[in-house]
Amino acid sequence: MSALLEVQGLGKRFGGLVAAKDISFSIQPGEILGLIGPNGSGKSTVMKCIMGIERPNAGSVKIAGTEVAGWAPHRIARQGVGIVFQHARPLQRQTILEHIILALLPDNLFMLRTNHEVRRRAEEIATRVGLAGVMHRLPRTLPFADLRRLELAKAIARNPQVVLVDEPFAGLTAAEVADFSKLIGSFRADGHAVLLVDHNVKGVAALVDRVFAMYLGERIAEGSATKVMQNETVRRVYLGGKIETAARPEREGKGRTPLLEVRNLGVLYGKATALDDVNIHIGEGEFVSVVGLNGAGKTTLFNAISGLVPHNGTINWKGQSLAHQTPAAIARNGIVQCPETRELFGDMSVRENLDLGGQHLTKEQSDKQLEWLFGLFPILKSRQGQASRTLSGGEQQMLAIARALMMQPKLLILDEPTLGLAPVILEQLSKAMETLRQTTDITVLLGEQNVTFALPHADRVYVLEHTRIVWEGDPGRFAAEAGAGYL
Amino acid sequence: MYGRKACWDAADMLRNKIFLLVVPLLVVLALLPLGADGYILGLLTLAYYYAVFAMSWDLLFGFAGEVNFGPTFLIGVGAYTAALLNHYWHWSIPACLAAGSATAVVAGLVLAVPALRLRGPYFGLVTLVAVLLLQNMLVLNAGLTGGEIGLDLPDVLAVDDTQNYYYAFGFMVVSAAILFGLSRSPVGLILQASGQDAIEASALGFNVAKHKLVAFAISAFFSGLAGAMLIFYMGTASVGTVVDIAVGVNVIIAAVLGGRRTILGAAIGAIFLIGAGEVLRPLGQLATFIVAAVALIVILFLPSGFLGRFLQPGDRQ
Amino acid sequence: MLALQILIDGFAISALYALGATGFTLIFGVSGVLNLSHGALMAMAAITAWAVADMVGGNAYVGAAAGVIAALICAFVTFRLIVRPIQNSRAIPGEEKEIFVLTGTLLWGIMIQEALAYLFTNTPKTVRPLIEGVVSIAGVRVPYNEVLTTAISWAAIGLLWLLVNRTRMGKRLLAASMNPRGLTLLGHELSSIYLLVWAIYGILAGIAGVLLGAFLGVSSDNAGTLTASAFSIVVLGGLGSVSGSLIAAFVVGYLETITAYLISPTIRTVPVLLLLVVVVYVRPQGLLGRR
Repeated sequence: MSALLEVQGLGKRFGGLVAAKDISFSIQPGEILGLIGPNGSGKSTVMKCIMGIERPNAGSVKIAGTEVAGWAPHRIARQGVGIVFQHARPLQRQTILEHIILALLPDNLFMLRTNHEVRRRAEEIATRVGLAGVMHRLPRTLPFADLRRLELAKAIARNPQVVLVDEPFAGLTAAEVADFSKLIGSFRADGHAVLLVDHNVKGVAALVDRVFAMYLGERIAEGSATKVMQNETVRRVYLGGKIETAARPEREGKGRTPLLEVRNLGVLYGKATALDDVNIHIGEGEFVSVVGLNGAGKTTLFNAISGLVPHNGTINWKGQSLAHQTPAAIARNGIVQCPETRELFGDMSVRENLDLGGQHLTKEQSDKQLEWLFGLFPILKSRQGQASRTLSGGEQQMLAIARALMMQPKLLILDEPTLGLAPVILEQLSKAMETLRQTTDITVLLGEQNVTFALPHADRVYVLEHTRIVWEGDPGRFAAEAGAGYL
Repeated sequence: MYGRKACWDAADMLRNKIFLLVVPLLVVLALLPLGADGYILGLLTLAYYYAVFAMSWDLLFGFAGEVNFGPTFLIGVGAYTAALLNHYWHWSIPACLAAGSATAVVAGLVLAVPALRLRGPYFGLVTLVAVLLLQNMLVLNAGLTGGEIGLDLPDVLAVDDTQNYYYAFGFMVVSAAILFGLSRSPVGLILQASGQDAIEASALGFNVAKHKLVAFAISAFFSGLAGAMLIFYMGTASVGTVVDIAVGVNVIIAAVLGGRRTILGAAIGAIFLIGAGEVLRPLGQLATFIVAAVALIVILFLPSGFLGRFLQPGDRQ
Repeated sequence: MLALQILIDGFAISALYALGATGFTLIFGVSGVLNLSHGALMAMAAITAWAVADMVGGNAYVGAAAGVIAALICAFVTFRLIVRPIQNSRAIPGEEKEIFVLTGTLLWGIMIQEALAYLFTNTPKTVRPLIEGVVSIAGVRVPYNEVLTTAISWAAIGLLWLLVNRTRMGKRLLAASMNPRGLTLLGHELSSIYLLVWAIYGILAGIAGVLLGAFLGVSSDNAGTLTASAFSIVVLGGLGSVSGSLIAAFVVGYLETITAYLISPTIRTVPVLLLLVVVVYVRPQGLLGRR
């Protein structure tokens, strides 16, 4: 039987950045393929190229034998491809049924009436995805899971040969994931070829027939879910290497005084669940790592602590609730975050960035702090006058951390500092972390996907998986208890 | 429009609410000339033309998602084409109206081209610049166009107040029916989707560019036609009545006050605005001040407009 | 001779435009707002200066000061009562906020314009110049006032540059225009930054308005054209780029002056409009724009 979706040698670059290189795979009717990779791996680019939202620079995309690479998206859609976007927004004044009717409409300028056929078919589809009871309601009144079903309904409305789903379970609670999974699984029986694009294998493992793993635009593994999860390269990419447990020196008195306490934390983005009943605590002087894959919720957790997103539950700092403080006030009170996106002032020099961090100090304090930081990150001293947007990735990360340290934080939050950095830079960062731990009594909360980086420095580890904390304990026990199931 | 439907269809309830409000109003307005004097009729005649201006604007903004800061570009092109043809070549009124709307459509398509390539504030800018350029061109060629004073027209629609009233009223009702019907039709649905998220709309199989061009053409057609009819009602075409930015601002305010994406709301907003402006006229300069102030307050506290609020108690997104 | 006249007049007008446009750009860069009541603000400053000068028996300095203070107050009102409520409103979807702010400031501008016309009529007013008399520069007679306008404009721009590049407060302002979130993460309240920016804007627009009133005369009818000018300059130079606005101000100032002298004063705005159309089609981000 010939493949419904056949991708050959697909390549796409954005200026100098190669987003995808020589990607080839095919999907048979009734087959579900998982396209996985961490942030920046190129999986979204590949999906967009298949749908026509981006034009590939090289390679071919065939839908049931017809070459569609380079076509406009609406033509590709009519050729037989449906897509479920991660961040779709429904129209507010139309009912669920009307949304599905929209998906069934021909691209006709003169369609002034719909006929009974279309309406009947729309009702059928609504029932197929489990929306029969709510099809006459407005999106505003429905929970997130139903809105995702609506997106699925729109994608399969015209019975496309290929269905693309971007991050199928993002925003759903653990219970909703199971239901949704079953629904997607039922597409097999209809003979569709399904491509699921996601961050991690584990989340889609039960659902997919095969997995195609990407990293930095290239294929790194292909095969059954179990095989891919055990693949050396894949584990290194996600975990950073072998999880080694070395004996670590005990630190006198660490963790005695409670500093940060997070209880029953829940965060919603609109209706999507980002965090569900999260509890963590950090004591003074501790180094706590929160490990989890992209999309698990680490950034959301940190943003909630820093006051950048509204949340349910309580967050107490030194015994007092952070509920009514502005994010800037929280930072001034000692919780300083160095975010994943670094948020540097690109057109300002390294020195200016650092000075901005030190504006709360007197001139002398600021100078002293600066000197200490230049000792910790010598490269910053030599690049003082350079505009920060011209620095390399690793240098920018060091600048971001140094700038945060200028604030003399009591708790330093680091969100994925190793993202996209070369191993040699990771070494330097690791050393800097170690020096920090040993020469100061700073408390650190580190969020990482790269377990190899996160474990050696940590006093305690939390594992965050799809909105919930699933494990807490000593790094020594991590490999034994949580490591195997991590991926 | 969708055949027999159960009465608990939410969308139906929305529509019923509208008809409950609109139909009695229309009946009243249709019977007005029996009792009201020429002054009121004249005012409403003007308001009806503004209503068509506002409804065309809402089609483009509320549905196709394109902000036109210079609706008077399209209105002015339509109006002046008709005016020049009538003044110099004595074309008949129907011919002038046809020519006016045709040129307005061309102008609308010209405006559409940058719209498809530019984002947000930049397109708004283009529309503003278009109006300023048109205005300057007309004023500079005052010998030809009558400049600020205006161009006298040999023909007028009618002399009698009541006749003029019914011309305008009929025109408005027909335009409203077409535009509203369009907005509720499948094509309207596609337009709305294209306006909200062009990528999603294309992924559903719709050629967004094509639909937006059509939206521009339709908006331009009605704007131009209404502009041409307006000048034949007034007997002169002048920059101050059909091109000035102030007129454009009134159109936008009318549509926003009435409620974006409702079409009919724009008509209600226009009638309200013209009525309010007239009621406050004795206050002189203060009149515009108060109207602007009211509009500002509505924007701040009632952003979905009069009709929008009426249809949807509670503005949570 | 004519060339020199054009050179000098163009320079003065450009400097004035630069001052007005700089404030406009600053507000856009830091607060994200295209303030369509800009022209009305400037007109209000000029007319206040004129009115107050009369009330205190002809003291030009007091009048000028009053004009600037009026502009400052008005800028605050614009921010607190109009812009901020719209930006924080939960009833308006995110992507429509910009349009609502534009419409809101437009309406506010109309309100100011009409209030001015009502209180003072719309005949042009000339603000009493701070220094009377004429000076001769290389054979061309130039009013002291014109020289003063140029000098003050440049001084104001220079002070702004010093503020932004040499003071801590200024650095924060600059950082806010680049990355507001980054600044919040460093413990600086954005609300104070916004207040500062609008205050600076009010002062700059006030000075520009008063100077314009003394140089060319201002009436409430000018409000719209003034906003359009500032808008054009800022788009030509690049939305959000202060240096871009400065360059564009000179391009526009000279283009207008040359057109006025060599062709006709009535069509002085046309070449600029045409240039604007070209720029928007060919390079929509302007000369030095980033967004």
